[in-house]
Amino acid sequence: MPVLTLQRSYKYIMYATKQPSLRIKQADLKCKSGCGFFGNADWEGYCSQCYRNHTDSERQKKSHQGGSSDHSKAQVSGFSKFEEKKRQQTDKKTRYMKSLPVFRKTSNVKDVGRPENLVDIMRQANPEANKLMAEFIAQYSQYGEGIRKDFLKCSQAFSNKIVKELDVKPMEDLAEIAQNYYNQYQNRVNSNPTYQNVPNDVKDRLVEFFENFTMISLYNFLFCPPTTNDEEKDLTIQGRIRKLSWVNAHHLDCCISETSIEVRDLVYTAINDLLGMDSMRAPQEKLACVVKCCRSVVEVLQHCQGGPVSADEFLPALIFVVLKANPARLKSNILYVTRFCKESRLMQGEAGYYFTNLCCAVSFIENLTAESLNMPEQEFEAYMSGEVTCVSAWESALVACEGMHQLREHLALLKGLSERTQIVQNTTKSLWEDMQKLKEGICESVDSVLERTPLIIKPRTSPLALTREQLLAQAAARTAPNPPEPEPEPAPRNFYLKNLSFGHLSAFETPKSKLQLDISPCIALKPSHSGDQLSSPAIDKTPGSLTPDDNSFLGLSKVNYDIDLSDLSTENSAADELTPDKRKSPTPSVDPFSPVGGSCPVAQPPLEPSRGEFVLPFLVEETLIDKSELTPAASLPPPLVPSAPEYSGFSKQGSRIPSIPCSTGDYSSLTSSPGHSNA
Amino acid sequence: MKHIVGKVVLLGFQGVGKTALVSRYVEKAFHPQKAPTVGASFFTCKVVKEDHIVTLQIWDTAGQERFKAMAPMFYRNANAALLIFDITSQLSFDSIKMWVQELKGNVEESMMLCVVGNKLDLNDQRQVSREEASAYSKSIDATYLECSAMTDQGVALIFEKLAQGLMRLQGLSSTLKIYEDDIMASSSELEATDIANEETVNVSIGSIAHGNTVNGKCC
Repeated sequence: MPVLTLQRSYKYIMYATKQPSLRIKQADLKCKSGCGFFGNADWEGYCSQCYRNHTDSERQKKSHQGGSSDHSKAQVSGFSKFEEKKRQQTDKKTRYMKSLPVFRKTSNVKDVGRPENLVDIMRQANPEANKLMAEFIAQYSQYGEGIRKDFLKCSQAFSNKIVKELDVKPMEDLAEIAQNYYNQYQNRVNSNPTYQNVPNDVKDRLVEFFENFTMISLYNFLFCPPTTNDEEKDLTIQGRIRKLSWVNAHHLDCCISETSIEVRDLVYTAINDLLGMDSMRAPQEKLACVVKCCRSVVEVLQHCQGGPVSADEFLPALIFVVLKANPARLKSNILYVTRFCKESRLMQGEAGYYFTNLCCAVSFIENLTAESLNMPEQEFEAYMSGEVTCVSAWESALVACEGMHQLREHLALLKGLSERTQIVQNTTKSLWEDMQKLKEGICESVDSVLERTPLIIKPRTSPLALTREQLLAQAAARTAPNPPEPEPEPAPRNFYLKNLSFGHLSAFETPKSKLQLDISPCIALKPSHSGDQLSSPAIDKTPGSLTPDDNSFLGLSKVNYDIDLSDLSTENSAADELTPDKRKSPTPSVDPFSPVGGSCPVAQPPLEPSRGEFVLPFLVEETLIDKSELTPAASLPPPLVPSAPEYSGFSKQGSRIPSIPCSTGDYSSLTSSPGHSNA
Repeated sequence: MKHIVGKVVLLGFQGVGKTALVSRYVEKAFHPQKAPTVGASFFTCKVVKEDHIVTLQIWDTAGQERFKAMAPMFYRNANAALLIFDITSQLSFDSIKMWVQELKGNVEESMMLCVVGNKLDLNDQRQVSREEASAYSKSIDATYLECSAMTDQGVALIFEKLAQGLMRLQGLSSTLKIYEDDIMASSSELEATDIANEETVNVSIGSIAHGNTVNGKCC
């Protein structure tokens, strides 16, 4: 029987892993008979082969003890042997019957009915099998009556065989018989002429249906049979899981969020699927429940973490679900599927994989220690003995009342909310700080820009109205320039300061002042002024502007001049200077412009030509001076006779040279500009 | 056209990229939306080689130490073991050696072993030299390959080698399913075992339970 041995080979590996503790010396696992293979507690410490030999010899010994007559009978008919076995186990059975109403009926039937009719009786007591039979007829009658007859013949033979051996052989042997029958029927379907016309996929369905039908018929005999200790195991694992009810997702290192409603629903779905396993009868159906449950678990994990789910995460999650579900008769179901599900289905495919995982989970739960939860021994003991209880959202959801559960959930929710509020507050604060910094930064950069490029107010523009008279007066009393000049000083300065409201203007002007000092033609006072006060340049300028303006109607040339200097120092000043010019222009300059610049009343047209003249000096600073030095010599004297005394004032001021270009520039551009351009 | 269905078990330390490796391959081989519910712990993938269609059923295992005791449930009846380690971690390589010992001790069927060094993209942090790993693989009759699941370098080659190994395994292993039916080609991978005729090769199965160990591991 090749197939039977195969069946055992995997089973022994499976049992071997379900050792009571995680760490056992290898020697302890070996078969008691010393054959070198692994033994198992289920087989009294023997390996599968030795256990079989052992039980066979035991059985024979017993029958020998029972008497020679019995023994000879046993050889003749299997029935007497069956009866004898049954007697032996009656008291054991009745003990189970009391606890399991399921069996009461069948046992009564069995007690009353003769074994030959057992199958029929069994079918009567099994309406599901009848329903299935009707389904079979509906589905497969098109392939001919022969198939139905053959199917019935095979399934009946199978059922008879199982029922006959039920009390005689251990469950493991019955499982082997079942596997054998599955294979036999499959071979029959594939080779027997009756099934010749059946398509391949229908053949497979037939094989599956055979398994389904026979198992449903025999379910009451084969599921959690009284001859095994399956029920004890069920109760053990159930108690164990109940004791472990404190284990939560956190202990298992799996990332199942306890508060998300979707996740909880999915976990409930998984739990329901797992619980549904007990109500199914055929091994395939039970297996399908496991697959459904595991798919839900995968979904839970995908929901919680996203991305592909690896076994590293799947197994803990499945353990968690098993712990929370605590399915009824878990062990019986697993053993039933292991024994009577077609072996190839368990070995391979998705169902096989998930079923293996379920076995792993159960095995893990059975062997769970403090170590496997990464927890100190004492804490584990405290939990196990019930000294410490931890109530999580899951426990309250699954065990305690709804109110408690909601409380838990709300607490968790509030915790999350307060965390988020904290985050919002922190970010608000940092945002505020950032804004503050930005503000300061902008202020600083504005200040620095202002410092670098001061706004210079040309003192000469609006005071004109006031100065005019004074200038006239000055012109009149040219002989004494000193006395009138101090007088205009305060007025224009205040005026500008007020107008532009730049408090620190005076400070800015200081660097500029030196340049402009050159221009301010008139006064010998200047050195003293600049030395004394910060504001002095402003004062100085006013007279400076006054005088050229008064030269009056040369004002234009003056403008050009200022720009030159300012351009050398800063850009802004040029713009600043333009505006004063404009302001100036309406009042006095209309006259001077018209002759020089032509039609345009604004100060600009005259500027451009003059600029053109000064382009070269701009490029090379020295040349400006040089040129200006040169030009005066050439062009100054003839037209500017009247203003000559003023320019002497320049020269007095300290720098001999700069004073000269002022005048020369003015004159060349203004009076002799046509002459120059012509030349 | 022969159809071979083999079970491949993934073994390796936690975090070496077992799942990443397989999901990288499966992602490329199939449409990602094809089997979203299956998750990444169980895969089937088909490799077509010469006149064979090889369906690999890949069983992922949990790498945590605490689940180590359950590993035999996963690798029983496997036809091939993919032993994955992280080339930047000596520890993960040592755990491979331990797995190999365990497999040699507990599995009597002939089984293809394939040692894979993952994270080749982190070559500059390498702790396990290629020479060391390949010498070790040779000593256990295993194929040695290196790959990077992140950059997809060498991933497809692993599965090709697996398919080749399983093809060579026919006749040596009793658990390997071989179908001689064209229906397989059109049927869905997941139900592979349920459809078509199934014949178990090498019917001397009686030897398995009390293992006359089949010598000569493949590859």
